[in-house]
Amino acid sequence: MAHTTRTQNLGPGPIRVPAGDLPTTSTSRTGTVDSALDRLWGLLTSMKFGLLLILAFAAFGLVGTLLIQMPAGVADDPQARAGWLAEVRPKYGGWTGILDQLQFFTIFQSVWLRAVGALLAASTIACTMHRIPGTWRTMTKPHVNVGPTFFEHAPQHEAMTFQRAPADVLAATEQVLKRRHYRTVTEDDGTVRIYADRNRWQPWAGIAGHFSIVVILAGAMVGSLWGFRDSQFMLAEGATSAVPTEAGLSITLNSFKDTYYPDTGAPSDYVSDVVLTRDGRTVAQQQVRVNEPLRYGDVSFYQAFFGPAAVVTVKDAAGATLFSQGVPLAWTSNNGGNKVGTFSIPRQNIAVWVVATTGPDDPSVKPGQVAIELYASDTGNPIVQKSIDQGTPTTIEGLTYTFDRESKYTGLNVAKDPGTPIVWFGCLLLVLGFMVRLFVPYRRIWGQLASRPDGGSSLSFAAVGRRDSDLDAEFTSLVTDIRQAVTGPARS
Amino acid sequence: MGKLAEYAFVAGTLSTFLALVGYVFYALSGVRAARMAAAGVPMTTAGIGFTSGPRTASIGHYASLLGWLSLSAIAASLVFRTIATGHGPFSNMYEFSIAFAFGILCAYYWFERKYRQRVLGLLALPVALALLAYAATVPASIEPLVPALQNNMLLTVHVATAIVAYGSFTIAFAAALLYLIQPATGRWGLPRPAVLDEIGYRAIVIGFPFLTLTVVLGAVWADTAWGTYWSWDPKETASLVTWLIYGAYLHARVVRGWRGNKAALLLLVGFGATLLTYFGNLFFGGLHSYSGLAGV
Repeated sequence: MAHTTRTQNLGPGPIRVPAGDLPTTSTSRTGTVDSALDRLWGLLTSMKFGLLLILAFAAFGLVGTLLIQMPAGVADDPQARAGWLAEVRPKYGGWTGILDQLQFFTIFQSVWLRAVGALLAASTIACTMHRIPGTWRTMTKPHVNVGPTFFEHAPQHEAMTFQRAPADVLAATEQVLKRRHYRTVTEDDGTVRIYADRNRWQPWAGIAGHFSIVVILAGAMVGSLWGFRDSQFMLAEGATSAVPTEAGLSITLNSFKDTYYPDTGAPSDYVSDVVLTRDGRTVAQQQVRVNEPLRYGDVSFYQAFFGPAAVVTVKDAAGATLFSQGVPLAWTSNNGGNKVGTFSIPRQNIAVWVVATTGPDDPSVKPGQVAIELYASDTGNPIVQKSIDQGTPTTIEGLTYTFDRESKYTGLNVAKDPGTPIVWFGCLLLVLGFMVRLFVPYRRIWGQLASRPDGGSSLSFAAVGRRDSDLDAEFTSLVTDIRQAVTGPARS
Repeated sequence: MGKLAEYAFVAGTLSTFLALVGYVFYALSGVRAARMAAAGVPMTTAGIGFTSGPRTASIGHYASLLGWLSLSAIAASLVFRTIATGHGPFSNMYEFSIAFAFGILCAYYWFERKYRQRVLGLLALPVALALLAYAATVPASIEPLVPALQNNMLLTVHVATAIVAYGSFTIAFAAALLYLIQPATGRWGLPRPAVLDEIGYRAIVIGFPFLTLTVVLGAVWADTAWGTYWSWDPKETASLVTWLIYGAYLHARVVRGWRGNKAALLLLVGFGATLLTYFGNLFFGGLHSYSGLAGV
């Protein structure tokens, strides 16, 4: 988008009428629609409009960094939302309600950001498409004959006269341009018109860089449509759990280990040793660390968090084991702040909560104990609550519960994002596109060569572009080279 | 090695301070020369830039020498620190601030060699000095890396590209400020607005692709460590905002009505966003909380 105006305004290319300014004489219905579409196209391809959209997006982004944002999940739950708003009210005072109404606490999901983002994407697509024909023409069929006034008014221009015949001058000039990696196109209508450019493919890098933004957004959309994410996937040591949405795939945690630096007590490593099985067959085994996710197909498992677990065994009156597994104590009770976890017993209408002690001062759960709280699965009504000692089978409501030992659980982030490869492709295009566009110089110069009555020739060169010391230096050095090549090495 | 790094850091900070004093004297001498020239006293002018008084050039020369000394000392400090810690010197606010100052000095001296506009040093060096002074106030102890940062390649490249970008943006900021404080016809013998505009643009041309690379590498790292390439983490978002503002600047420079003052203003805003991105992890919270400052 940014880079055509320079040549469109100053360059000698064919004059293009902006779509928005096209005369709309037709009054028919289709004519009205056409003119509205033209106006829309004119708006979307306007760089000024694009510029304002970029700044608007940046402004909303700034809101998102400066205001506390609602955590995921809170926004959709009215109760949690109200609680969260009450929490931030002391900070934002009377503005809290207004900011909430404006969706400023969920700015990244807000209608504002989505609207500006969609317009920005549309503008980027429109600008990119708008530029392609012109860029293609300039590359394949450059405008060679630019008329005499251009050589007087261009930002860089130089006129030279030589004793030698035009044919010799042209040959020497072409050689110099070739040595400097310029492509030369000439036309001869009595006067030889010269056009030369270097790195003529460079504008395509700019187009690719802009287009990559659309690619990245498309990748993000694919991810949100067909991907899934469970960032609260918990697994106690020794436990096996099915991987959500992946039929037949399950994951087992062999062990979890958290280690700390002896001097500072800062964490040094979190390692989950996991096994992935598909229909009973082991398909992957890995130590998952923070920077080393397990990737299987397009599903990835990341180390996210961890905590304590309690291994509990439940047997029925006949002594058959109904449940024996580590229970992640991943939640905290509202009253007392105990770590709690839950599981349900197959074919029994019972939800079991396991409550850990908070320490020697805990009135209800002593160290070395857990409390077992039973609730009805369907109604959620409490049935009974009892603290049990570690290693002592205790019968509650006809079933025998044993708190075997303490252990650990790991919290994994399980994600499947089919859009990721698209995003990476877009990122590659983005970086390469802008690097090439901004680091590789694109140069164009025009010349005209005419014979003089005395058998000599006159040669003019001119280049377009904002005055810039690099551009000036290159133009001067090019012209000097040509002069020398025509007249031979300077006599000293 | 850790001790050597600290000595080199102190030496670098002191010479940056002395260099800044040199640049102040250089500027004073230059302004005086400009005033004398305006009063009709014959002066030598060096093409573009400051009018040279009798002593201006030699003061400027010594100021630059001191600056080069500080650049070398800080480079040495970073090298020693890298050897001492075994990873790129980018893992906490102490290391990152010194690296940022290094980036500014590098960018400044690249531009000084290319454009010979020492007045920019008057604005760029204080920023570098402020960062060095800030580094002196935060804990310098070498702490082992927490699990999330244990990725030597990405830690080094992700932050090194950020340093290049931030250094260039500081030069663009200095050029834009000098651009905005004078009318189009020039004032006080400062570099001409056209030259400053070019310097600002060139700085963004270098910095913008590097910031792009920083954000993309950040996304790659986030995908490895956090399980998603983008999570609207405050620091992520702030860097996107910075990227957008400089992107807007690149467009503004070729849009009628936005060239000149408004474009220069965007460079100031962009630098504000850069600083917000840089210091953001101190008050945003979020996933980038590696400042090494306990209780923050």
